[in-house]
Amino acid sequence: MIRVSGLRKSFEGVTAVEGLDFEVAHGEVLALVGTSGCGKSTTLRMLNRLIEPDAGHIEIDGRDAREVSPDALRRGIGYVIQGVGLFPHWTVAQNIGTVPRLLRWDRARVRARVEELLELFGLEASEYADKYPSELSGGQQQRVGVARAMAAEPAMLLMDEPFGALDPVTRGRLQDEFTAIRRRRGITAILVTHDMDEAFRLADRIAVMDAGQILQIDTPERLLRGPREGFVRQFVGLDDRALRILSLHRVRELSRPAADAPAPNQWVSPDDTLREAASRLIWEAGDSLAVVEEGRVTAEIRAEDIWRTGARGAP
Amino acid sequence: MSRAGLALAALFALFVALVLRPELMSPLLRLVAEPGQVLLYDRQPIRVLVGWHLALVAAAGAVACAVGVLLGVLVTRPAGADFMTLARMISNLGQTFPPIAVLAIAVPLLGFGFEPTFLALCAYGLLPVFENTVAGLRGVPATVREAARGMGLAGAQRLWRVELPLAAPVILTGLRLSTVINIGTATIGSTVGAVGLGEVIIAGLQSGNTAFVLQGALLVALMAICADLALRRIERALTRA
Repeated sequence: MIRVSGLRKSFEGVTAVEGLDFEVAHGEVLALVGTSGCGKSTTLRMLNRLIEPDAGHIEIDGRDAREVSPDALRRGIGYVIQGVGLFPHWTVAQNIGTVPRLLRWDRARVRARVEELLELFGLEASEYADKYPSELSGGQQQRVGVARAMAAEPAMLLMDEPFGALDPVTRGRLQDEFTAIRRRRGITAILVTHDMDEAFRLADRIAVMDAGQILQIDTPERLLRGPREGFVRQFVGLDDRALRILSLHRVRELSRPAADAPAPNQWVSPDDTLREAASRLIWEAGDSLAVVEEGRVTAEIRAEDIWRTGARGAP
Repeated sequence: MSRAGLALAALFALFVALVLRPELMSPLLRLVAEPGQVLLYDRQPIRVLVGWHLALVAAAGAVACAVGVLLGVLVTRPAGADFMTLARMISNLGQTFPPIAVLAIAVPLLGFGFEPTFLALCAYGLLPVFENTVAGLRGVPATVREAARGMGLAGAQRLWRVELPLAAPVILTGLRLSTVINIGTATIGSTVGAVGLGEVIIAGLQSGNTAFVLQGALLVALMAICADLALRRIERALTRA
């Protein structure tokens, strides 16, 4: 649980961030979005005191961040930065073990944790543990960067454009992985990004920032359905909001009972998004689709239900 | 063994052979000697001269390294940034001031022999180490520094575990340059009575014996080349890690 109130910072008289208040619940991911220079990175860096705020209050799991020494505070907070910043002279295992070693975990515990994380991120420990960062692809480096941040089981993760420098395909895959890991392990995180799509994919709530202030902080769906006039409206982008809303929902939410049968040609799985289902329905020019699990039809989803979900004024 | 390794081994073996058995060089020296001249320097055993020469360079190198790295670290800390100009001036001065002039000033204060030469070499060898330490530390990528800070490494931990190891190859290059320069420069110490290979060259110059000059110069050059190759190998090993 992170509670921020009245956070303010100016650099040489120029206000970077002002009057920031927000909370992040345990297990929640909050995205700070906005254009460059809107103060989102400054905000993030104040949370682990890489920048000291001029005024305001930061509370992490009930403790005032100022009561802890900056180094101790940072060891309790995972930090993923743009450009990864892996230590080039250390192996993957040493990189991931950085904070646990600082916290003086014993050797066996560090090794076990490193192996667990490598497995979690789909990197074979026997193959990757002893490699140097320069021997990894960009996507692999980024995975190691996130694994390193999670190593000491921190209360929260701070992520500054974590998947920024990757090609779209790799970025999409990592975003999916991150979501999957979140679902399995539960991650509390604050994510900074200028990419609205990334925020919609990863965050439970989104704070839209401009000129050092939070203009609106809401769930993705409410942000899409009711953006404030002005910058938020413009930044969120309303051209394809119906489709974006559909991509926030899963097929299982709308599935209706259906008779058991073998899988037909076109079908969706319960974890597909409504956007994917809609796309398939449009392609087939149909009005319903089979929902298939393990090769058998278990339910069906109807076009009218999907259209209603994406419509204005839907619940 | 690699080719560079073979070259180093061969040159080092040659150097050792010429130090322990100076007479091996006689056929070569005879080419430049006047008839009837002594070919081989015989006032001191060569191995004693080499020993002192090395000791002088090593001692000065150690000091230049310690001071240069310390200064370099100091001026790259936020608290020491103000000293950058001053430190740069001092180390530049050490390099631009000719060692022979340092000797001229130091002899009245420290007397003849080892000490003034040592001082001159320390001053002369400082700049490459200092400059390369600064360059090496500044060359640590900003993302890596940011990550180290964000992970909660304390200042000294960042320096010892991240910054210095990453800067090490560049610092070592500075130390190599400094050492190679000083192996040559140390010869002038013999003008103020420091024991070293310069003695052979100067004796040759004074008595018009080209054989002595060639003998001394060859040994100094071999020593410098061996040191250069050896330190390069260490650099490469560090860079690979």
